[in-house]
Amino acid sequence: MKVNIKSLYDEVNRCVYCGFCEAVCPTINLGPHRGYGPRGRVNLIKDFIENKKITTEFLASVFSCLLCDACLIVCPAKIDTGRIVRDVRSIIRNEYKSSINEKITIRER
Amino acid sequence: MVQKNIEDFINEINGSIGKNKIITDDLILKLYSKEPSGLVGKISAVIFPENKDDISKILSSAYKYEVNIYPQGSSSSLSGNAVPLKDGVIVSFERMNRIKEVNTTDNIAIVEPGIRIDELNLFLEKSNYMFPIDPASQSVATIGGAINNGAGGLKGAKYGTMKDWVNGMEIALPDENGTRLFLGCMTVKCRKGYDLARLIIGSEGTLALVTEAVLRITPIPESIVTSLALFDNLDDLLDSFIEMKTSGIQPYIAEFMDNKTVEIASKGIDINFDANGNMLLLSIDTTKESSERMKKYLENLFKKHNANKIITSLNQQEAEELGLFKIRRNLFAAQVSMGYSLYGNGKKLQVFIEDIVVPPSKIKLAINKVREVSENYGLPVTIGGHIGDGNIHPSVVYDITDENMKNKVVSWYKDVMKIALDLNGSISAEHGIGLLKKDGLIMEMNHYNSLKEINIMKSIKSLFDPKGILNPGKVL
Repeated sequence: MKVNIKSLYDEVNRCVYCGFCEAVCPTINLGPHRGYGPRGRVNLIKDFIENKKITTEFLASVFSCLLCDACLIVCPAKIDTGRIVRDVRSIIRNEYKSSINEKITIRER
Repeated sequence: MVQKNIEDFINEINGSIGKNKIITDDLILKLYSKEPSGLVGKISAVIFPENKDDISKILSSAYKYEVNIYPQGSSSSLSGNAVPLKDGVIVSFERMNRIKEVNTTDNIAIVEPGIRIDELNLFLEKSNYMFPIDPASQSVATIGGAINNGAGGLKGAKYGTMKDWVNGMEIALPDENGTRLFLGCMTVKCRKGYDLARLIIGSEGTLALVTEAVLRITPIPESIVTSLALFDNLDDLLDSFIEMKTSGIQPYIAEFMDNKTVEIASKGIDINFDANGNMLLLSIDTTKESSERMKKYLENLFKKHNANKIITSLNQQEAEELGLFKIRRNLFAAQVSMGYSLYGNGKKLQVFIEDIVVPPSKIKLAINKVREVSENYGLPVTIGGHIGDGNIHPSVVYDITDENMKNKVVSWYKDVMKIALDLNGSISAEHGIGLLKKDGLIMEMNHYNSLKEINIMKSIKSLFDPKGILNPGKVL
């Protein structure tokens, strides 16, 4: 199914930056920075939609998510980060093909 | 382009604390330059110290190269306290989050500044202890951030704010060596000349960086009776609260929401009762033997003041089963969703949360006045807060692209602060001054004919931070 970019953008744009999601995210304390948590992922995806720029840190953020949906339960704006991450992964794979795999480097602190 | 002094600073830090503690990727820098107030700044790097020596090295180099330092916990502050205004670097404490010692005989916990309040409490619960400062953001708010913002919370009526729960702390100064000092004492009682520990609390990262804190902890109460009461008439609610306070009962938690706020906050949550009217949520700590007596007292009090619904629990487990805290916990989410139902889904919204405080005896006047002013502006304002200590949070959600509405909100914000001052209150109880309340601080100093305080504060700032590199542009 083709991802609706407009609705994806509207959803990430709802983030009020409270950070409540970071308290329940299993990956944020393992990664080197905020991009390894839902608040970071949502805002990096927002940036990606606006600027179409793919960086190593962006890829690490999107591909380090465990899709556990813990963040959805505590998000005051009800942002479904797990589903958004799945959608963005499919966009990246479709548009940038398999070469992207080599660029994914998930780092520990 | 990165300024030369910042580039030299980053090179020196790379050598002294290690490359894996510094990030300069543009996209990641953006993530650290925002906060929930909606303000956005710009920086050249984020540095993640892992110990006290790292902090001293960072400050020493920052002093040498005159680089602005913005200390940051979890960026959950609401007054622009953690936003980098001018170029510089953020020092994030997220990797300094250890609990170093808990001593229940001495009633202290020694912690690093990056520990989140909830994480600390989870650990203390094993010993049946707690750290009682509980801002609504406690799941992410860090101890370092709470110290620097002078944070409070739901239990403020009984336990006060951070200034009452920090015995001592180690700080690092922005000087040649990043000199570290231990302020205050390990004990509650402490007469070490001027109380510099209390000076750091609420200083919003403008004087020094906190590297370690000696916190007071307290046993979790044996039993907590909680009553949720709904009133058609707001004055009845406020009268019942004032009667209780006057009779000598000090609530553990005393939260209030007006009827409009209750209506939006009770939507979409799983509760087994109709929530109509203005809500008072009251918890009193007791012993098991006196719980029934307190329950009856509260029910009689609320009945006398015409409550339309009263639900009371004898302990915390029962309170959770009855869902008594659900409406309060849903407040922030409800404010956000109210915004989308008002302005549509594609909009960029901002929730603006006021933070005034008045003496509890004046709370009735303050709430009625805020309601009147908000109605005059025609803004979608919700009113709730920690009624027990006189701290209320009138909040408005608005579309940040609508200039007309933005101007209205700024004007409303000033009028609300004026209401607090006219009732012998203050413009900020627990969120701090940051960027958003600098005008309010001057307004308050003028109101109390105390403008010279600003000069004294500026002198203190230059003693601690002679080059003005710590969180510049904030507070003063």
